[in-house]
Formats: sequence, C-alpha cells, structure tokens
Amino acid sequence: MGHTDGFIKNDAATAPAPDADELAAWGAAALDADAPAAAPAPAVSGLPAPAAGGADAGTAAAAPPEEIFHRIGQLTRTLHDAIRELGYHEDLSDARDNLPDARDRLAYIARLTGDAAEKVLNSVDRARNVQDEMSGRALGLRTRWAAVAAYTAGGDRATPAGAALVDETCAFLSSLAQQAESTNAILTEIMMAQDFHDLTGQVIRKVVSLATVLEEQLVKLLIDTTPGEQRKKVEVSALEGPVVNPESRTDVVSDQAGVDDLLASLGF
Amino acid sequence: MTTEPRFLIVDDFSTMRRIVRNLLKEIGFANAEEAEDGVAALNLLKSSKFDFVVSDINMPNMDGFALLKSVRADENLKGIPFLMVTAEAKKEDIVNAAQNGANGYIVKPFTKATLEEKVQKIMQKLG
Repeated sequence: MGHTDGFIKNDAATAPAPDADELAAWGAAALDADAPAAAPAPAVSGLPAPAAGGADAGTAAAAPPEEIFHRIGQLTRTLHDAIRELGYHEDLSDARDNLPDARDRLAYIARLTGDAAEKVLNSVDRARNVQDEMSGRALGLRTRWAAVAAYTAGGDRATPAGAALVDETCAFLSSLAQQAESTNAILTEIMMAQDFHDLTGQVIRKVVSLATVLEEQLVKLLIDTTPGEQRKKVEVSALEGPVVNPESRTDVVSDQAGVDDLLASLGF
Repeated sequence: MTTEPRFLIVDDFSTMRRIVRNLLKEIGFANAEEAEDGVAALNLLKSSKFDFVVSDINMPNMDGFALLKSVRADENLKGIPFLMVTAEAKKEDIVNAAQNGANGYIVKPFTKATLEEKVQKIMQKLG
C-alpha cells in the first residue's frame, strides 16, 4: 500500500494484471506442489476424483467450476485431517477460548478511554466556565476603574501614586481578559484531542468484529476435527489483571465500595 | 429578523458529538441537537425542523450514507445542508458522499478552523 497526496493508494490496482496463461501456470504449479506425490486424493461425494499428479498447466485455465470446488473440498479435508492427526485441535481450542477474553479486553479499553475522554471534557467545561466568569468580572472591574480614573484625573484628589495604581489596575484587568481568551483556546485544543476516543474506538470495533468472525470459523473447524471427550477446560491464571467484565462474574468486586464492604464483612 | 440556525449532530460516539457541539457553539451556533445513528437522526429530522446536518458515516443501524440518501430522497428534507465528518478517508467514500449530495466532507481528526470554514462555506453557498 502506498500513499499519494494524503490518500491511500492501492498499488495492486495499478500493477499490470497477469494474463490468463500466467495465472493458469501459477495455479497449476501451486496445486502440484501441495498435492501428494502419487496417490490421488479421495473423491468428494458426487464429484469425480482428479487425475493422479494434479492438473497440468494446459488444462487448468479451462477447469470447470466443479473441478475447482472439488479441489477446495480436497484441501479442506486434508487440512482437517492434518489438524486432527497432529493434535493442533488443542491449539485451536485454546485460540478459540481466548478470543472472547480478547474481545472483552478490547471492550474494556474502549470503555476506559471513553470514560477518560468524558472526564477531560467535563473538566474542560468547568475550567471554561471559571475562565468566562473571571474574564467577565475583570472586564466589569476595568470599566469601573476606568470611570474612577476619569473622575480623579481632573480632580484635586488625584495623586501621582493613585493615578498610577489605577492605570496599572486597569491594564492588569484588561490583560486578564486576554489571558482568559488564550486559556480558552488551549482548552479547545484539549477538547479536540479527545477525538482519539472516536478514532481508536472505531479501530477496536473492527478488530472485535474480526475476532468474532475468526472465532466462528474456529468453532466450525473444531467441531469438525475435535472429539468431544478431548476438549479441555481453560485454566484460569492466578493473576489476570484488571477485571473487564465484573458484572458477569460473582468472584470479583466491581468497584472500591465492593472492596470496602467485603473487608467490613470480614471485620477489618 | 433571522433566527439562529438549528444543527443536528449525528455520531455514534458521544465524545465526538460533544466535541462538535462545543465547537459549533464556539463558532457561534449554539442551537444543536444530537442523534446517535441514522435512524434516530431521520426520526428527528422528520419530527422537527433543522437547518444543518453534521453527520458521521460509520454508525450502527443506519450509516451516514444511508442517512444522506434518505434525506435527499425526502421532499421535505432534501434541501438541508449536509456535512460529513468522518474517519473514512477513502477516495471512493468521499466521491460517494459528493455524488449522493453531501455539501462538505471533513476527515477526522479535524480542527476547529476546518469545521468553521466548511460550515461557513456551505452556509454562504446555499444562502
């Protein structure tokens, strides 16, 4: 995959397509390499058995759909047999059993990052309200001090020190309002940074979807290859990290209150 | 007397709805409602008057493309400005949105300036 002008470009789309002869030769070679050396594979019910030695390059290009389905059937059967004979069904079983846990953990990450983003947004809103109030009050005071300055400037009560203090106070109040604007701009940046939750959440959702499909396929494969009595229970590790689905379990607590209640019930 | 335009923000992530709502408020559009998918958005659009839709694409139940097509196919809704704000950056999606009548397309992550520019541009263009 390459990138051009900010867009994802599929290199495969621009590569010259192989012609029919090339595809036929490639397909035949691949099948020949995987096929048993001499004995023909058993026929799938209702379909004719292939010739010994696999298809040759000259006939592969014109292979009828029945022939293709037959070959796929052979490969599937060979794969099932190999998995069973080599004992890989146990690995498959482990993989299948671990997928729901992986999904839960991803959902846990999504929930925690979402909660964190919400907390940041709440804090930004509160900080912005404080800024707005401070800015408003500063502007109000500045207006009043400006009136005082105008009054004292021409009067007998004016003193150099007092006039300077009024000017300085007015300048400070003005700068306070400007600083509040700067702070609000920073708060906007902090708020915008929380869009990571949306973006990472979408990725997590796709991975979870992929894991679900994978799990379904593994279950089907296991049904075909594993005798029921050989299935084993997954051992639960002693330390499993944060609990990602406390509501579905009775052996864990869901929050600190649960911890405190449990300790209190034990007399601590 | 001109009334303040009413926005409908459509996104399945509440964080993003909140961000867009706050940004719209900052750029001068405080009147906004939210919907979490295309179905909820279409119900709101049919039951209440809105002047602008800001919608995500990838959502459950009804995605942004389906919502856009439904809006453009509805005699009462077809004139509403429709801005896509999405993480989908594929060319075909952008072209698809344009061909189906979207007035603008923003790819996440985006900035306040980008949102403001697109909204103002659409509003000026459509009068």
